[in-house]
Amino acid sequence: MTMRQRFLTFARAALVQLWLPVVLIAAWWIASSSSTSFYFPPLSAILADLWQGLTGGDLLSATGYSLRNLLLGLLVALVAGVAVGVLLGLNKAVEAATRPMLDYARAVPHVAFVPVIIVALGLGWLPKVLLIALGCVWPILLNTVDGVRGISPQVLECTRAYRIPLRLVVRRVVLPACAPQAFAGLRVALQVGMVMLIVSEMYGSTTGIGFFVLQSGENYAVTDTWAGTVLIGGLGYLLSLVLLAAEQLSLGWYFQRQPARRRGAVRVPSTERAVAS
Amino acid sequence: MTVTRSASDLGADPVTRAGAPARARRRREHPFLARIAVFAAVLVVWELVRLTGIVPAGLVPSPLDVLGALPGVLGGAALWQELGATLSGALEGFAASLVVGVPLGLLIGRSKLAERSTRLVFDFVRSFPTIALLPVLLLLFGATTLMKSIVVFLACVWPVLLQTMYGCMRLDPAVEDTVRAYLIPRRLVYWRVILPNAVPFIATGVRLAATTSVLVAIAVEVLASVDGLGRAITDAQTGDATPTAYVYIFLGGVLGYLINKGAHAAERRLLRWRPPASGE
Repeated sequence: MTMRQRFLTFARAALVQLWLPVVLIAAWWIASSSSTSFYFPPLSAILADLWQGLTGGDLLSATGYSLRNLLLGLLVALVAGVAVGVLLGLNKAVEAATRPMLDYARAVPHVAFVPVIIVALGLGWLPKVLLIALGCVWPILLNTVDGVRGISPQVLECTRAYRIPLRLVVRRVVLPACAPQAFAGLRVALQVGMVMLIVSEMYGSTTGIGFFVLQSGENYAVTDTWAGTVLIGGLGYLLSLVLLAAEQLSLGWYFQRQPARRRGAVRVPSTERAVAS
Repeated sequence: MTVTRSASDLGADPVTRAGAPARARRRREHPFLARIAVFAAVLVVWELVRLTGIVPAGLVPSPLDVLGALPGVLGGAALWQELGATLSGALEGFAASLVVGVPLGLLIGRSKLAERSTRLVFDFVRSFPTIALLPVLLLLFGATTLMKSIVVFLACVWPVLLQTMYGCMRLDPAVEDTVRAYLIPRRLVYWRVILPNAVPFIATGVRLAATTSVLVAIAVEVLASVDGLGRAITDAQTGDATPTAYVYIFLGGVLGYLINKGAHAAERRLLRWRPPASGE
């Protein structure tokens, strides 16, 4: 393929994927441009408000506060979920004994803990991190268990036959083997975490992006509410992209090589991968 | 890797066919006593943590107090009202998400152009936490049961729509070629090939939406004080009745567990003709 052809293919793909978002945003912009409705301010006003909030107002610090809590909660959930998940995955008896409890724990509506924990622990950041971790730990934990259980028994028997120390087995065999599954759990956890973050801030907080949208709505500062909502949408999308990039970066070996010949440098052509995923 | 795993499964087969070893195996996989022991251990640790006093009293009540609050909640009329309010809101939104999500997914999933055009939009909406729309919807509709159903709908429609789309797209290329080679009419292909292929994926979407619907309904009730389990929990906790709040949370867990198990069972029963699709 020449440069020109490659560019044309790329341009066509970009055009096909971009026209609808562009049309939708343009339609919103035009339809709302002369809007005098109290509830639907012009998009231009919303974006101007968003820009002002991010550069001069308190929206930036509120977003930073929320993001920090989200990342802390996710980190706690990741460490706890993978640690316990590996433990349970390697130990069949314990896993079988705890399975119903885990299934139940995952089914509990974790947003229901928001009033309980915030009323008991106050409006600070710690109860929010606790709530986010509480919601996020289950998908990571259960996915890690599945990942570890998916390791071929022969591989584990082999490590036992050669008396490879457990620490080494966990680090070099178990963790890499369950990483793709754990990442899938992390992707679910990110969405759960966003919900927990926003619900906990709307329920009881003095700052944060969830507090910002609810507060402005209650004060009938509708443009602020829309601006905050748009920001949350952008943030959620951005975070999921970052996670996807991290996954590709750290699990490149898993996505790029065919399982049957890990050692060979056979790469699946990138177009095929895009279709497969 | 797949080869070695299926080989080991084959090796395990004769064991399950024999009588006594099968029973031993079942006991190993469903250790009844061990499960009760785990449950008891959790309760004991819970009580010990509470007794040390390192957590505030309003956060963790004694398991005995929670147990003591259980008959009062189960016997009262309030529980059934709250449960009904939560379920009706969840069900309305869930039903609406099926009515909209499945046809739209079937439509978009059949056209490569439509799928590519909507990809970015769907990626964006999917990562959007629906509950963040609550302030806007509160402004538009107020704290009503209609608003609750709308939030549930907005949260549930995406899993249904996207799974339906995937189901339509993931057709075995060999099947697709065969259909084209034999010039089978489009309508027939749709009803006999594409729909049956998509059904397991749709079932997964429906199951995800079912569990999501109750969660979202409870979240809305917690935040907007709309009637339902969520508000009952908030009221109990702010009214200094933490054990009652925990009873409601545990009952919410039972509800979620039953919905999840029920959806799984229904999926297995309805789709006995083929293995459940992955794609969660």
